[in-house]
Amino acid sequence: MYLAITMGNIKSAVTQLGVGLGLTLTIFILTLLFSMPLGLVVAKARLSKNKILSSVIRAYISVMRGTPLMLQLLIVYYLPYYVFGISLRSMSLGSINYRYIATVIGFTLNYAAYFAEIFRGGIQSMPQGQYEAAQLLGFSKTQTFIRIILPQVVKRVLPSITNEVITLVKDTSLAQILSVNEMFFAASALASSQVSVMPFVIAGVFYYCANAVIEFAMNRIEKKMSYYN
Amino acid sequence: MNILEIENITKSFGSNNVLKGISLNVKKGEVVAIIGASGGGKSTLLRCATTLETIDSGSIKICDDVLCSTDESGKVNYCDKKQLVDIRSKFGLVFQNYNLFPHFSVRRNITEALIHVHKMDKSKADKICDNLLKKMGLSEKGDSYPCNLSGGQQQRVSIARALATSPEILFFDEPTSALDPELTQGVLQVIKGLSEEKMTMVIVTHEMNFARDVADRVIFIDEGVIVEEGPAKEVIDNPKHPRTQKFLSKY
Repeated sequence: MYLAITMGNIKSAVTQLGVGLGLTLTIFILTLLFSMPLGLVVAKARLSKNKILSSVIRAYISVMRGTPLMLQLLIVYYLPYYVFGISLRSMSLGSINYRYIATVIGFTLNYAAYFAEIFRGGIQSMPQGQYEAAQLLGFSKTQTFIRIILPQVVKRVLPSITNEVITLVKDTSLAQILSVNEMFFAASALASSQVSVMPFVIAGVFYYCANAVIEFAMNRIEKKMSYYN
Repeated sequence: MNILEIENITKSFGSNNVLKGISLNVKKGEVVAIIGASGGGKSTLLRCATTLETIDSGSIKICDDVLCSTDESGKVNYCDKKQLVDIRSKFGLVFQNYNLFPHFSVRRNITEALIHVHKMDKSKADKICDNLLKKMGLSEKGDSYPCNLSGGQQQRVSIARALATSPEILFFDEPTSALDPELTQGVLQVIKGLSEEKMTMVIVTHEMNFARDVADRVIFIDEGVIVEEGPAKEVIDNPKHPRTQKFLSKY
């Protein structure tokens, strides 16, 4: 076992984990791409005057935050089969299998709930005077939201968004429950075949590097938005 | 010609009757100052007149357009959305705490509505903006952001923003209450300048000297009713009603 850490092993681990990292990053990017706009819509619905709509959304957020993300992934994956009797194999999109699709759907639904609450906090923190000034100047509700409110909300919620984004990078490891060959799943497989913890260490370095880049980028965006306060 | 006609309006928040039947007509070119103790209903009156609050009964007309009226059964009817937009373009409101858009430059604060609501060319809007900034003594500040301006400068920007759409009447809700005495003067000078141009204005203020100098008429409101009104000098220098006398003795 002491022979397990050889240059050759490390090299092959880095290459194979690199493939896993690619998949991890696509899950990450797709989740952000879908969950942020969805989160904004959910936040608006949560703030809706329609009591039924806002309570449905509240329940959705409560369940998403109150149950394990891993369990949610399993439910998204098995739901079509157990409820509608659809075979999972038939649900693949070309070369993309349903395991991967279910992962992205699960992550998106979960993260949208968190983003929604962040956006809601931001929207509610806006002073009423901004709405009143915009209204009297003739801006429509949509114009007011898009031109006046949203840009200020984004600035306010950016630090909390960064938190979630960084957590998402690490949470992608949960996709292993659906045997998606993301980086952590790859690391586990390698660790047992090489009988070494080295693949996990390398995976850890990769996760950290990805998050270091994200931190740097988000800092830059925050700086860019600090031209007013 | 009356620019503003308020007739017998009432407004309560829960069991708190803030306005108990107030009527007020403002003629074209007239400057009316509204004075009175805090909590007396001054700001609520202004907010009702500027569509930020809805009234419980009475009627309001701006430039002969009916904003709202009460029918025989006592139900208040407001005009439809399209008319509301139209009526809102006829007046401007200057807030006590400015309510500028902090993420926009001074220029964009002033031109945004011209370009995106009134569909004006950017070059034309910029021209209007330049003229207004010059008038406000802020020619150099077009590219600044509100957070880099003093309170007095911010308030002048907000006056410029309200003037950009060339309203028929301008409302001021305690425009200098958030400012120190030095900054107050700059803002009051601007308002005085507007009165010399015969701008129709309704000003809620605690600056009695200013009200006496600039307003044609002063209205003293207390506990939701107009207690006394008349020519500015007369009301402020020689109030008739004991309540007005008591209030003004503190200045």
